Amino acid sequence: MTPVLAIENLHLGFKGYTGYTEVLHGISLSINPAERVALVGESGSGKSVTARIILGLLQEVRGATIRGELRFLQHDLNSIGTKHWRDLRGTRMSMIFQDPTSALNPVFTVGVQFIEVLRRGSAPLSEAAALSRASALLQSVSINDPERVLQAYPFQLSGGMNQRVMIAMALANNPALLIADEPGTALDVTVQAQTLDLMNQLVASHNTAMLFISHNLGVVREFADRIYVIYRGRIVEQGPTAAVFNDPGHPYTRALMAAVPRITGGGIADIPDTSDEFLQPCVNHGSAL
Amino acid sequence: MSAVVQLLLRRLGISLIVLVGVSMLVFGIARIIPGDPARIALGPNATVEQIAKLRSSMHLDESIVVQYGHFIKDLSRGDLGMSLYTNRPVTLDIAEFLPATLELVIVAGLLMIGIGLPLGRWSARYRGRLADHVIRLVSLLGVSAPSFVWAVILMLLFAFFLPLFPIAGRISDTYTIERVTGFLLVDTLWAGNFQAFSNALWHIVLPAFALALSGIGQAARLTRANMIETYDKPYIEMAQAYGFSGRRIANRFAFKPSLIPSLTIIGLDFAAMLGNAFLVEAVFAWPGLSRYGVAVILRKDLNAIIGTVLIISATFLLVNLIVDLLIAFLNPRIRHSQRQTS
Amino acid sequence: MKRTLIILLRNPLSLLGVLLVLMVIVLAVFADFIAPFPDHKGAVVDFVYFNQAPSDRNLMGTDLVGRDLFSRIIYAYRISLMLGVVVLVISVPIGVLAGLFAGYRGGKTEFVLMRLTDVFLSIPPLVLAIAMMGVLEPTLLNAMLAVTAMWWPWYARLVYNVARSEREEGYVLAAEVIGASQWHICFREILPNCLPAVITKMTLDMGFVIIIASSLSFLGLGVQPPTPDLGSMVAEGARYLPDSWWLTVFPGLAILVAVFGFNLIGDALREILGAEQ
Repeated sequence: MTPVLAIENLHLGFKGYTGYTEVLHGISLSINPAERVALVGESGSGKSVTARIILGLLQEVRGATIRGELRFLQHDLNSIGTKHWRDLRGTRMSMIFQDPTSALNPVFTVGVQFIEVLRRGSAPLSEAAALSRASALLQSVSINDPERVLQAYPFQLSGGMNQRVMIAMALANNPALLIADEPGTALDVTVQAQTLDLMNQLVASHNTAMLFISHNLGVVREFADRIYVIYRGRIVEQGPTAAVFNDPGHPYTRALMAAVPRITGGGIADIPDTSDEFLQPCVNHGSAL
Repeated sequence: MSAVVQLLLRRLGISLIVLVGVSMLVFGIARIIPGDPARIALGPNATVEQIAKLRSSMHLDESIVVQYGHFIKDLSRGDLGMSLYTNRPVTLDIAEFLPATLELVIVAGLLMIGIGLPLGRWSARYRGRLADHVIRLVSLLGVSAPSFVWAVILMLLFAFFLPLFPIAGRISDTYTIERVTGFLLVDTLWAGNFQAFSNALWHIVLPAFALALSGIGQAARLTRANMIETYDKPYIEMAQAYGFSGRRIANRFAFKPSLIPSLTIIGLDFAAMLGNAFLVEAVFAWPGLSRYGVAVILRKDLNAIIGTVLIISATFLLVNLIVDLLIAFLNPRIRHSQRQTS
Repeated sequence: MKRTLIILLRNPLSLLGVLLVLMVIVLAVFADFIAPFPDHKGAVVDFVYFNQAPSDRNLMGTDLVGRDLFSRIIYAYRISLMLGVVVLVISVPIGVLAGLFAGYRGGKTEFVLMRLTDVFLSIPPLVLAIAMMGVLEPTLLNAMLAVTAMWWPWYARLVYNVARSEREEGYVLAAEVIGASQWHICFREILPNCLPAVITKMTLDMGFVIIIASSLSFLGLGVQPPTPDLGSMVAEGARYLPDSWWLTVFPGLAILVAVFGFNLIGDALREILGAEQ
């Protein structure tokens, strides 16, 4: 089976005043159609930059050097050119951001922004057609009064509502890949759980593959088929969710798991800032499929 | 009552308070003048009786508070007193000279917005590249000289060295245009005289550019700064992640949020133009309020000084009022603020 | 501080700004030694060399009574710089204090002070100065007074905005909780946060004061002859365009060079100090 996304030996570095700093030290990762894959690590580990490289956003930043193979569907992303890559964004691949309210433009209504996104898709759409499609999509994310929401500005809606709007937008053009960067971390826990459930169902019904970026192992356990654990720009452990959780092989994964708060109490174990153990080679549980 | 109307009323109230403050300030300044205004007005050959008569008719014998009271009473009837320089009511003088100045300032303001904003937008979109460096340097040069220097340079280059534009005046003497609004660009069209219109337009190009150059620079710098701040916002990254083109992001998604904070300052720059018009009018012999203003100042013609400053401040407050409304119209947070309060 | 200086000197544009400003300062301070004709700063007449185009003898030509333009421009820089420094030294502390108290105290102080600045700010800057000069005698001292009067409200507004937002910050509340005096909070807690913005504005304003002051004298309302002033030199020369172009072009460019220098530094400072916050 051809994977939706295949990353091979990805390096990322920045040239700055102090010289060259490497942030990603050769990451490999693949996602199969309709598969939900999680990339887990603490902040600064390189999760978010990986997402931005896949979308082709970091390539435009000056001083960023990127090496490695990137394949998306039948495209070799490194050779298709920025214009073609851009055409894939918002259509074949899309993204959900961490804070829904600040990711929506404050001076345009939800409706206007939704129409813009729908028009990124294939055929030219009339405004009325776009609005009725947007309205249907909003209903699919359990928004009962889509007309009101379409006329509202993001600041007039709750965070959870904006999150649903963003999920609907992300799936509007039936992408093959959805990248979710810490979705809903800015929301409170119950709203976050609801929207994640919703996203999960929709991804399944749209047959969309998902790259789920998170620092939260609890969330990952529920939503991912497969897990990559990333530490300081290196993948340290990978495998099916159950395998990784039942038998964490890498010292860093074990430390990360120990740091999850438990109802039984006992406090949270600290993850040391750095440890020689964490630099051990990658533990691979193989693929579930 | 809609939020915008509420805002309008509140701003109108504040503007009125400020205008009263301005009148007190200007009145105060005019009364600290050393020497006797009546004596200055009548010249050295006046008799003591003449001076005393003028003093009492100008209420100069009474306390400054009473004087101010008289002033406000007259003002509410639209009477700013007689100009000692032209021997006509000040309001009449202002009505004659203000349109020419306003016309110049409005055209310059349009140039500022029409050129400054796109330049700033372009500069921000190509941040760090050659176009950005060139625009930054040029707009910094624009704000680095007073408008009379630009007036002189433009005149030398485009009226003398390359004789493309006229050197002085608003319109060639061959045209007689009936005065309707006092704005020549309007009156010529009103008369259906397109030749005269293009002649007037041709006359206003250099003065308006000289007046606008620093405003253009300021608007470009401001727009660039605000756009660059906007470019760091998550919603711009979202637009990029959804594959919108750089041009569309610059012109639509990043521009509108950046325009809102720019507008206030652009209003202030418009105000600065009302002052700078004095300088440009002097170079291009533009028959506006400036020549009158400078003349009455040199003659210490108090009524005319107060009237001129007051009318300019009122114009300025009006511009700011319009800008505030424009912001309220563009910014949904203000337009829909009643939902948050209720 | 040291880091700021290093960044300033490393960027070619801000380095250019520093060099231009240094040049202007050196010219102004050592005018007596640099000017080829030091006595031409005053009412001197030399009809042998009147209205001469630029030449080896007179780098920028001579004016209508034969005075060396280059020498007069150098002395005019003296006046411009002095005016700029005096205006800022007086108006900045006044504005900063007003803004600080209005922003921190709130209530009536805030209302009165801010409406007062509104009044000043709603008269276009140049117009207020023109009106003041109109009733005062046009002298250097009065020009300073007039420009100062129109300048302080800008600083009041700037500091007020910072102070008002800082008032709500945690560290100010913390200082209040441990019983720090208002004096201490204003000057030790809030003021340091306003300084980068104030310093940046002062640099940009040096240029702006030069512009306003030269505008006043251009209208004949500022420094009076025979004291050399860039604005009145342009005004005088404008009548003899285009033949005696040097009479206006060189004083005009002299203003541009000085203001451009200050603006380059101010711009760079804004970027450096702004990024540090």
